[in-house]
Amino acid sequence: MEIEFGLEDLAKYPFLKEAGDYIKCLSLSIDDLKQEDYQRVLERAKHRVIEAIQKNFISTEIEEPNLEILSFPLALIIVKAIGIDYFMHRYSLAESLRAEKLLEKEKKIIISNIFKSAFNVNTIIIEHDFFDFKMSLIDYLLRATHFHKPEWKLVNRVVEKGFVYVKTHELIRLMREEIRKIIYERMKSLSLPKIPENIKEIIDEISKALPSLPSKELQKTTPEMFPPCVMHVLDLLQKGQNVPHYGRFLLTSYLLGIGKSIDEVINIYPKAPDFSERLTRYQVEHIAGIRGGRKRYKTPSCRTLITHGLCFKDETLCDKIKNPIQFGRKPVIFKKKKIDEHNSDDYG
Amino acid sequence: MIMDDKTIEFLKQTFREFYYKNSSKITAPIRMNEREFGYMSFNKVMVRHLSFRTDGELRVFLIRESPHSVYYSCAYYYEPTLPMGEKGWKGADLIFDIDADSIPTRCKDEHDIWVCKDCKFMDKGKRPETCPKCASTRIEEESWFCPLCLNATKNEAIKLVDFLLEDFGIPKDKIKVYFSGSRGYHVTVEESSLEGLDQLARNEISDYISGTGFSIESLGISKGASYDDMYGFLPLANEPGWRGRIASFFTEFEFESYELIDKDVRDKILYIYGKIGYKSFEELIKKIVNDLGVKIDVMVTTDIHRIFRLPNTLHGNTGMLKKKCDDLTSFDPLIDAVVLSDEPVKLFVYRAPKFNLKGDFFGPYHSEEVTLPLMVAVYLLGKGLAKVINSY
Repeated sequence: MEIEFGLEDLAKYPFLKEAGDYIKCLSLSIDDLKQEDYQRVLERAKHRVIEAIQKNFISTEIEEPNLEILSFPLALIIVKAIGIDYFMHRYSLAESLRAEKLLEKEKKIIISNIFKSAFNVNTIIIEHDFFDFKMSLIDYLLRATHFHKPEWKLVNRVVEKGFVYVKTHELIRLMREEIRKIIYERMKSLSLPKIPENIKEIIDEISKALPSLPSKELQKTTPEMFPPCVMHVLDLLQKGQNVPHYGRFLLTSYLLGIGKSIDEVINIYPKAPDFSERLTRYQVEHIAGIRGGRKRYKTPSCRTLITHGLCFKDETLCDKIKNPIQFGRKPVIFKKKKIDEHNSDDYG
Repeated sequence: MIMDDKTIEFLKQTFREFYYKNSSKITAPIRMNEREFGYMSFNKVMVRHLSFRTDGELRVFLIRESPHSVYYSCAYYYEPTLPMGEKGWKGADLIFDIDADSIPTRCKDEHDIWVCKDCKFMDKGKRPETCPKCASTRIEEESWFCPLCLNATKNEAIKLVDFLLEDFGIPKDKIKVYFSGSRGYHVTVEESSLEGLDQLARNEISDYISGTGFSIESLGISKGASYDDMYGFLPLANEPGWRGRIASFFTEFEFESYELIDKDVRDKILYIYGKIGYKSFEELIKKIVNDLGVKIDVMVTTDIHRIFRLPNTLHGNTGMLKKKCDDLTSFDPLIDAVVLSDEPVKLFVYRAPKFNLKGDFFGPYHSEEVTLPLMVAVYLLGKGLAKVINSY
């Protein structure tokens, strides 16, 4: 069944392919935007980008549907032309937050239709005391595994006959991440047209006023202490007790991850039962990526360690980390507070 | 215990003859040419990255090599024979391994032993951290299995199948349950929509089934909330998933002073919660979840490149078959998976406790010569507890 969206819907959700089809029907080219008639489209596009970059948000008011529908692809061109990946991410996030805010006020059927049209995900509206939709286990897992709060874990969901039950705002939260991704991907794959002068001026103006980029250089880790999971493995080793295979993997990948040399790592092991220098060296080198598959293994995430029963979380010290490698590091994310306000801390 | 050449040759010959006589029963897994195969020889050499195109190729291989163990990948690849990074992963069956070792049963204290590798001191039960005689940490465990612990393992498999059917909606004919040939059960789900799940998603599946990470908030319990506020969010026994499982448990649960049988389970849950308080209630739920969850091996389910024992092949440690269980309830591994003949074989047995196989008891043996039926002989030889004196 063909899903039909009205002009208002397309103005709210201009990332829908139906919005693109609509623009195609208008047979507009970027050169047409030179005309005086389209001045307001340019203004709205500029506003979108400035709001996104400076406030990490885009206003949801809709003066006229066409303004929204037309300004969206133009804003993508502007951000792409600025040429900095960080701002492409920031812009996509802001657009997805705008969509989220609008979706919160939508009827269930529209939400369901958007999920179907944009991401080909089927959601079934249900009559239930707590939940509004059900979606297939696979559709849920493919999206929810990126969220870290306990309520997203499958074990804490209602699961029946291959379906997971979700509330409206949860479905929208899952969708927001998808929207962010498709907008980013679209920008990434966009090949820039020849840009008319009046748009170039806007790009220059925005480029001059860009906030500074976050420092990418991570602080060097010389941990004063190791995370509790690593300490646990070290304790077992020092007591000469047998350490499960995955515990050894944790320790090795962690130590390599914080910059220890292969020899330093091997030296940790001699007290273990059945120690074999040759075998240990082989395994450490394998994890370091200089043997076997040549793949350097990353330290397993906190979630994976919970699964393997190796997490010994310290409520304060482990707060907000998702991987033992982050333990003891100060957050270095630019304007973290602002991003968190919208982004919450459940997505990593 | 190192196996002598004569014993190795005898075991190979036994396996070869079995595969020769039963070659028509060796069938390939579905989508065989997309899978990697591997095997371990009786000399404990592991060979991987093999591929077979037809049942016939596989049969010839088994008769020619007669390996200790044969494996196939749960994963489907574009090029199964290339090194791991170049195979091109397409998807993988969902697999589960339930091992008697990971299920605590009392009988383990009776039949499991441990041996200190340094001073050779040995004793029954769970291995200590250090040898009480020489303080060495080099300790080898030797697990044995009896109907009691194998039954407990089977119950876990039954619980697992319930999760797959009821929670994940997997059609019954896509779920295959096998006795592993040694001490547990393997469950595979083929041709399902879950084939494409990555490791992270399989972690979630495995945590769901084992109950790992269950939070009591999902039962509607929240610290500091009033009983009236919580009441409507508490689970009922007819709900699906974990909430329903836990509510059903509470329906049957006998709690010392609770007598209001006519009230619904939500009242009972709140009553117990009120009596014991948040912390103890949280502990109680943890215990319940641990009981109701399935003790699966997480490493197996989350490994998307895993190689798994091939059905209808012999396990080199026992001589028993990895066998499909069509009716799990009536399946008795110590009878149904014992497939070798009862031809007499003369052995020297280093040691063995009293054990049960194919309905008979054998042992205990202490450094002695014994003549035993082939199936029992291979069971001891495979464990490295005996050597062959006379072979046919």
